[in-house]
Amino acid sequence: MSYYFTILSPTDAPLFNIAFGTSKSGGDGIARFRFPDTAQYMNQFIIHSSLDIVEEAQWMNGNLYLKHIDTYPPAQAYISAFLTPSGARFLLLHQPPQLPSTSSSGGNTGSSSLLGSSFSASALGGGSSGRASSSSIAANPTAPQTEEAVRQFMNEVYENYVKTVMSPFYRVGLEIKSPVFRARVTAAGKKWL
Amino acid sequence: MTSPGDAPPVKPPPSFSPGVPRVASKARYPDQRRDSSPALGSTSDLAGSRINTSPTPPLSATTADLPIRIASPHARSVRSITPQLTRSTLGSPLEGRFEGSEDIRSLIARAFSPVVAVYASADTDELVRQKGFKGGFWELIRPFGEDVHGKVVIRDIIGAGHGWEDYGVHFVDLGGVVQNRSPGQDSSPLAQVEEVLERQLNSADDPLVGSVQPNDVLGMPSTSSIYKFFLRQLLSASPVSSHETFRHPVACVIAISSRNTAPLESLRQLYADTSNGDKKMPPWVHSEFLRYYVLVHDEDRDDITESTKLYDQMKRHFGLHCHLLRLRSNQCVVTDDDSVRVPECEWLSPSEHLQGVGQTDGVPYLFDSDVMAIKTFVRELVAQSVIPFMENRVAVWNDQVASRRRGLSGRFMSLSRRWTGFGAGSRSSFAGSGSGGVSGNYDAVHGFYKPDTPEAILRKLADFAFMLRDWKLSASTYELVRSDYGNDKAWRYHAGAHEMCAVSMLLNPLAISGKTKLETVDQMLETACYSYLTRCSDATNGLRCLTLAIELLKSRGGSATESATRWAMRAMDIGLVGSIGQILFSERVSACYASKVGLGSGVWKQGSRRRKAGMWSVFAADLWLKNRKPALASASLEEAERLYADVLDTDGVFPMPEMQSFIDNLRHAIRVQYLGARGLDTDEYADDSTAPLETQATEETSEKLDKRSHRRSLMGIPNSTDPGSLNPPPVTRENETPSHDDFERA
Repeated sequence: MSYYFTILSPTDAPLFNIAFGTSKSGGDGIARFRFPDTAQYMNQFIIHSSLDIVEEAQWMNGNLYLKHIDTYPPAQAYISAFLTPSGARFLLLHQPPQLPSTSSSGGNTGSSSLLGSSFSASALGGGSSGRASSSSIAANPTAPQTEEAVRQFMNEVYENYVKTVMSPFYRVGLEIKSPVFRARVTAAGKKWL
Repeated sequence: MTSPGDAPPVKPPPSFSPGVPRVASKARYPDQRRDSSPALGSTSDLAGSRINTSPTPPLSATTADLPIRIASPHARSVRSITPQLTRSTLGSPLEGRFEGSEDIRSLIARAFSPVVAVYASADTDELVRQKGFKGGFWELIRPFGEDVHGKVVIRDIIGAGHGWEDYGVHFVDLGGVVQNRSPGQDSSPLAQVEEVLERQLNSADDPLVGSVQPNDVLGMPSTSSIYKFFLRQLLSASPVSSHETFRHPVACVIAISSRNTAPLESLRQLYADTSNGDKKMPPWVHSEFLRYYVLVHDEDRDDITESTKLYDQMKRHFGLHCHLLRLRSNQCVVTDDDSVRVPECEWLSPSEHLQGVGQTDGVPYLFDSDVMAIKTFVRELVAQSVIPFMENRVAVWNDQVASRRRGLSGRFMSLSRRWTGFGAGSRSSFAGSGSGGVSGNYDAVHGFYKPDTPEAILRKLADFAFMLRDWKLSASTYELVRSDYGNDKAWRYHAGAHEMCAVSMLLNPLAISGKTKLETVDQMLETACYSYLTRCSDATNGLRCLTLAIELLKSRGGSATESATRWAMRAMDIGLVGSIGQILFSERVSACYASKVGLGSGVWKQGSRRRKAGMWSVFAADLWLKNRKPALASASLEEAERLYADVLDTDGVFPMPEMQSFIDNLRHAIRVQYLGARGLDTDEYADDSTAPLETQATEETSEKLDKRSHRRSLMGIPNSTDPGSLNPPPVTRENETPSHDDFERA
């Protein structure tokens, strides 16, 4: 399972980005997305496009944590969202590792690498960890356990975010550069995801 | 000649005749331009320059006509303020007619038109060959069948009449139907479709791209002509098969000419050929189809009194289904007074495209009188023989077979059948009697039902109703029969019935669009897909099923578009489409998302999918570029910019840096490739134009950098000068007044 976590300002500008992999069940905490390294913009595209859904879903119930709201099927990317009082939004993209079986049905690999349906290198890399983590939350991104884990993660990040934003050296709307915050997000990711 | 009970000729449907749309669009555009230009106010001069620079032929245009327009904030605000204007001015006059979901629905309905086989005697073919049609009588009348002149009135099962402007039939060569199974196996139809697309894109680089590109820019309600081409190809790709009867002939036109020395005998001979001679249908085709007898009279050589006498004789022998077609046998050339260009065939199958059927060396011309005669003939054939015949068959079959099944006892029977099917192994004991879980009518070895079994007749009834556009009846009939196919493990039939059941539900304009209804449709599509792809490994029909689903769900609007995109992504993911199909589907996903309009307006708009639509357009642009089609790529990118215009700040800068850099790179790459292509085409352009263009390009990027540093500095301002200020935004707003306008107006 690979994660891409973003905090977006109310005007959709990114305040904070981090990519990490799962640390559960033997994961090494390194993100392996299904896109080639040159196509990391895909994560941002997917997250940006899911704002459409966030804007719709934020009125649907009273919770701050919106759960899993959107999917990008070609890359099996799942988006969970969390709202904050200041209008900033936490978006977490999670992508289960590519299983060896699915890569064979991917069809024409070469042309579709952009769509991310089958990227062979990550299939090889992610395959081993995929088998290892099949029992953990990575197995099913829409399972209740996963939702719960993401909720815990979001809450912990939220607490840290509030404290970071309260810092006198931070101005609202600017990018969060605090290394402490980054370390805490990483720790939360390690703890829950 | 003209039939007495004929409806007065109504003007041809807008979707067909080549002359009409041109007029209509000419009439439309000045209006819109006039309407929208006063509202523009100060920006109208900019808009004016756009009108001048943007029209169709991209390769021959001046240097101002870059594939990507200079992305200055001004131009962008103009675009977002006046989508109407850009849309209308960019549309090429040829394709600028009304296009919308109705257009696609009509296309789909026309794809499933009744098939009329043509079987002409040798002397008739000889006569027609003299006129310059190498394929004989069939080739002569084929284009006219696709567009039946005037309104065709069809009665549905209740007896209510509906008039259709766009009705048509497909004429096929009888021999082609009979031996359709053996040839065409050399490569799969899907590969052929892809090849045809490729060829179309390459061959028509100048003219077609010209007509495609602006069309893509037209915006969300339009469909690019290349996609429509793809759709037509796909819908005419599947060969004649046993599991559906759309391609089985409904009628057969038997033609002789006035040159024939023994006319009645040869008619008999031709008839015998169609029923049990060498032109006999495959065993799964219902042999009971209409025969229609045509006497082709040679106006130039033969005596009309003789022919009339013969025609009277024919009427006496064969009844009402006869026609006297008066044609001139001389070849018509362009310079003749009353020469009319023969319309092009719209529904050529991919294999025919590959064989180059469409491109005859000289464009054939016909005399005006001939064209009129053929049109009258086709109209009479369809309106007075084929449709009444089909209506009659539908009524009879519905009465004899379907209503028995629909009734209470029928339900009990199917229920008991189902239960015995589940019962422990009792299947085999019942199998022969026809009341068990398995009807026993299915010939599992050859894989078809005999045409006189109830299952086959029900399918044919449903198909007939579908072709007569009585979608309510067809949906209910497919629903009736689909579980039987499943019980018999006739998977191809099973898939086909589910597919067409879903399609006719979606086509039926009155059907409820409730959530549950959509779920059943999704379920059926799922089943159809699974049966086609996994059980039969029939990729062509699988893709056809998915494509129909996408288009019809899209035309439903609302939440159905979501599932349309899901199916489109599914089709791409399974790998049903080739590289060009992939791009077309990406564009389609974008169009689906774009067509989902939200409630409310402005920033408070709910439920629109602008960002998703924009994203898919960008991907399509990237894929076009990878396929070395810079003009199409730039069209897609422009569409993406239009879609993103609502959600981005007015300076058009993406908030996310990597997205921005990707789009900048893409834009640059498109321009480089575009200029490269153009430089290869015309050398004198290359030297003159590249240098200024390069500077323009750098100007643009520097401007953009300016913009961004500007923003950052704006953010810095309160720090230094006005530390107490809580809101830097007002400064930004002052600087970007057009944005503010846009924001309120959008």
